[in-house]
Amino acid sequence: MIDIRQLKFSYPHSSFDLHVPELKIDSPCSVAIVGPSGSGKTTLLHLMAGILTPSVGSITVDEQQIASLSDAARREFRLRRVGMVFQNFELIEYLSVLDNVLLPCRIGNAISLTSQIRYRACSLLAAAGLEQHVKKSVTKLSQGERQRVAICRALLTQPALLLADEPTGNLDPDTTEQVLALLLNTVKQHDTTLVMVTHDHSLLHHFDRTIDFAQFIRTAESVA
Amino acid sequence: MTNAFYLALRSLWFHRGRALTIILCLALTLWLPMTVHLLLDQFRAEIVFRANSTPLVIGAKGSRIDLALQALYFETVAPEQTTMAEANYVQDSGFATPIPVHLNYRTQTVNNSTAPIVGTTIEYFEFRNLRIGQGQGMSILGDCVLGSGLSKKMQLEPGDKILSAPKNAFNLAGDYPLKMNIVGVLAESQSPDDNAVFIDVKTAWIIDGIGHGHQSLESESVDDGVLLNKSDTSVTASAAVLPFTEITPDNLASFHFHGDEDTFPITAVIAVPHSRKDQTLLLGRYASVHTQAAQCVKPADVVEDLLSIVFRVEQLVWISSMLAAAVTALLLCLVLMLSIRLRAAEMQTMHKLGCSRSTVAMLLGSEIFLMTAAGVSLAIIGAWCSHLVAADWLRSWLF
Repeated sequence: MIDIRQLKFSYPHSSFDLHVPELKIDSPCSVAIVGPSGSGKTTLLHLMAGILTPSVGSITVDEQQIASLSDAARREFRLRRVGMVFQNFELIEYLSVLDNVLLPCRIGNAISLTSQIRYRACSLLAAAGLEQHVKKSVTKLSQGERQRVAICRALLTQPALLLADEPTGNLDPDTTEQVLALLLNTVKQHDTTLVMVTHDHSLLHHFDRTIDFAQFIRTAESVA
Repeated sequence: MTNAFYLALRSLWFHRGRALTIILCLALTLWLPMTVHLLLDQFRAEIVFRANSTPLVIGAKGSRIDLALQALYFETVAPEQTTMAEANYVQDSGFATPIPVHLNYRTQTVNNSTAPIVGTTIEYFEFRNLRIGQGQGMSILGDCVLGSGLSKKMQLEPGDKILSAPKNAFNLAGDYPLKMNIVGVLAESQSPDDNAVFIDVKTAWIIDGIGHGHQSLESESVDDGVLLNKSDTSVTASAAVLPFTEITPDNLASFHFHGDEDTFPITAVIAVPHSRKDQTLLLGRYASVHTQAAQCVKPADVVEDLLSIVFRVEQLVWISSMLAAAVTALLLCLVLMLSIRLRAAEMQTMHKLGCSRSTVAMLLGSEIFLMTAAGVSLAIIGAWCSHLVAADWLRSWLF
């Protein structure tokens, strides 16, 4: 599913250097990435999603060499094959719950906004317990509800890879459990690979694999 | 594109306070010059039409602007009076048909309105293409016809009476008010004629006191105090003789004029030349040989001079409006730049999800386009409405 080889990345005008000699993640599975702040966890997620391109090395996601794709192809790949969930939800405040879920269809030509897609969006919201809030503004939802909307948005295109960057970082323990359950159940139902960055070690037992990011980078360990 | 418009609309609706402020700023900035332009266009069209339809105006020497505007609009500063000799001179020249215009009096106030009394001849109505809308035309001394607008304002109609106002209420020896019979109301012409009272020029001279009617001095019932001297050829009466202040069928025959008609006052003569050549010849006569006391002006030329001043004022309005528009545009750019900075996180999210920079630009462009379109539409609608409302006001102010 994900195959990283001799990956190096650095930001311009920064001393930060990310080096991942080798990393493999099979599909479908759920992987938690832990590690100290600033170790490059989010950068790795962005490299997997094709938001960033590596300076050296290769990343293959779903049999697709990300680094070799053009900008437009990477965007299309991201829209079609990758779902992203963020710590602070990153919902569009001026859109309703349903419109936020349908956003991937509105910001690119990769996916058409068909009645099937609408039906799928409504089904995802219903599964997330948000059927009563479909037309509401996202500003009127609780933190947990917002994150569930963000998860529905990430799952709209039935992605092969779901990347979650500390999705429970801003949630209370009860809501964290609910959101995590939603993520893991969805992954199981849709045969999706979940890669989630977290600082909460109490959640690690829910995942198939755990990668200690700092240690991993130093030892270039392969995770299968 | 549809998606960009949809997202732009949702964004504008969510930030409707800010969007509305920007739209109103744009609309107001555009509304003012648009409205001024429309009103000045109308002003120009109406004033030029009236001037162009009046070939020549002859009157006493002095301000050509006062002379032309008084003959056209009746309401401006009255020029020096000329005499009926000018009308007769034009008639005798054979170059033009003279239409005397006597503008020395106004009506007394009725329903808070007063109007100029225009003494003229029947040719004026044909020349201005004025039709009787109600009642009939003037037939005897003392008859008057009202403009349609004035009839509505004063709520007067055929059969009613209207009084002239003395020029000076404190001059007991001056002109007396004349009670005039309203015999007709003109059809609406959307011109200054709508707000005037028309009488025969001879009726105007009666108000002047040049013509008058009074009790018979030859009947047996005349008091001794009234008659000062009586011979076979002349009768001299004292100030006790009773003058008529209303012309009726009974006293019509007693009205008469003293003096030579050539000396009777009028304000101007509208000359309608028979041809372009006749117009040039008549202008030439007044420019060179005929008289030192009168002048002949082309209202179109006078109005053109006036409009050149209006053009300069319009240019000033345009320049100040353009400056205001530039300042508004700069401020709006600042607001948009700040807004884009505030929405950087939103743009970043879209980018992370797979949105191209061109789509983000299209989204922002759609918002700017929608606000600009709304602002411009609002300005156009506002300018049009203002023009409709102000057009009547402008016309009433002009005429």
